[in-house]
Amino acid sequence: MSSNGLLHRFTYLERVVHWVVGGTFVALLVTGLALSYPSLFWLTSLVGGGPAARVLHPWVGAVFGLSMVCMLALWIREMFLDHDDWRWLGAIKDYVTRNHDKVPRAGKYNAGQKVFFWVQGGLAVVFVATGLALWMPEWFEPGLLATARLLHFAATVGGGLFLIVHVYLGVVAYPGTARGMIDGKVTRRWASMHHPRWYEDQS
Amino acid sequence: MPDNLSIRRMSATPSAFIPLDALRSNAPEYAKLVDISKCIGCKGCEVACKEWNELKVEPTKNFGSFQSHKDLSANTWLLMRFNEVEVNGDIQWLIKKDACLHCEDPGCLFACPAPGAIVQYTNGIVDFNQENCIGCQYCVTGCPFDIPRFDKATKTVSKCNMCIDRIDAGLEPACVKTCPTNAISWGSKQDMLALADKQVETLKRRGYSSASVYNPAGVGGTHMMYVVPHGDRLDDYSLPTDPTASPGPMTGLSFLKRAAVFLFNFSIIGTALHLLRYGQQHVEEHE
Repeated sequence: MSSNGLLHRFTYLERVVHWVVGGTFVALLVTGLALSYPSLFWLTSLVGGGPAARVLHPWVGAVFGLSMVCMLALWIREMFLDHDDWRWLGAIKDYVTRNHDKVPRAGKYNAGQKVFFWVQGGLAVVFVATGLALWMPEWFEPGLLATARLLHFAATVGGGLFLIVHVYLGVVAYPGTARGMIDGKVTRRWASMHHPRWYEDQS
Repeated sequence: MPDNLSIRRMSATPSAFIPLDALRSNAPEYAKLVDISKCIGCKGCEVACKEWNELKVEPTKNFGSFQSHKDLSANTWLLMRFNEVEVNGDIQWLIKKDACLHCEDPGCLFACPAPGAIVQYTNGIVDFNQENCIGCQYCVTGCPFDIPRFDKATKTVSKCNMCIDRIDAGLEPACVKTCPTNAISWGSKQDMLALADKQVETLKRRGYSSASVYNPAGVGGTHMMYVVPHGDRLDDYSLPTDPTASPGPMTGLSFLKRAAVFLFNFSIIGTALHLLRYGQQHVEEHE
């Protein structure tokens, strides 16, 4: 609770962890896509060239992996889907087309955010496991490495698509949302609209 | 003299993925032919390779084999492997000159994400340009013959370059030059194929009924070929039976890469269209 109609949504620690995950993920996406598409190889110049991208990518990946562990530890208890969440997912079409009256009221996180959390958590495991093999290929069989490359890239596709939707919803579609991840606060009106069950708990 | 350094394919550029038939020209193609039946195991070729290419000498120990080193390295581009195998009740050395085969369809080049780090000259020789190498080692994974080796110190990958500097000067590779029994020959690919067929005939007359030429079609043929006395025992020579590499048919990864381009663009356009249809949802307007 706070004055001026603002509610605390995310703690300082949550915000730091979120942005370490987000920042490393974007850096990994840029360097990774540069090494996946010859036409994007020029992106390596953003980090100092091809060899630098090759060296940095796995280390940034290690930071990403650790920050994902922190994120899981911070949020896992809040992310299990309850009965209303499953109803929310059933009404996802109404959420997309803004038929708000038909969308079940969300708690602190709506079911889409929870699914995003679990998918990114699962993908992080794939990223780290296959990335480790690609980092130190001399320890692994060539056949395994080819599979690792495939899975690593498949995870990139999944993670990249979720990132696009995540940024769109958080920054573009719903003004007032991103602030929760900057100074940690949201307006009461925002909370009552997007997360009414959480809002009621706060009152 | 023909230009021996004109490039046919370059890694991580469109030329890397064009099928070979579309790239072939009238330029002469060279090949090295290793007649295993003529090898006396002197390892002079290993020394010549080290000398010409100024590769660091790597101390070795006797590990119970006639072989000089256990494996190739970034400083050992050529290793004579002496596989001790029982053939018709006798122990024989099934020797393999382990070095880059210079594939027509090079798996290393297809796998490489760094533009220009791997090139294939029109003469068929596949060469690594370390100044463009980023050290990812995808070429190691892509090679069906397990040839490229990573140098931990320089963080680049190396392999036999067929003494391209000698070829460009009109000379044969150092290993060919030094071989005392002419077990290694050098010439145009056609001449070497003809020589190989002739030698296989000779071996068959001498009773090596399964003698064969090793020029695997799965990689489009190679620019180092072998005459294999026991052609039915490729495994025992450490020669892969059916190595493959291809720029053409879609592998799982290349399919996924194309699909990803579509999916990423689709979702970005999708969010834009969603925005234009439904707009931003301002909190104030809601209440």
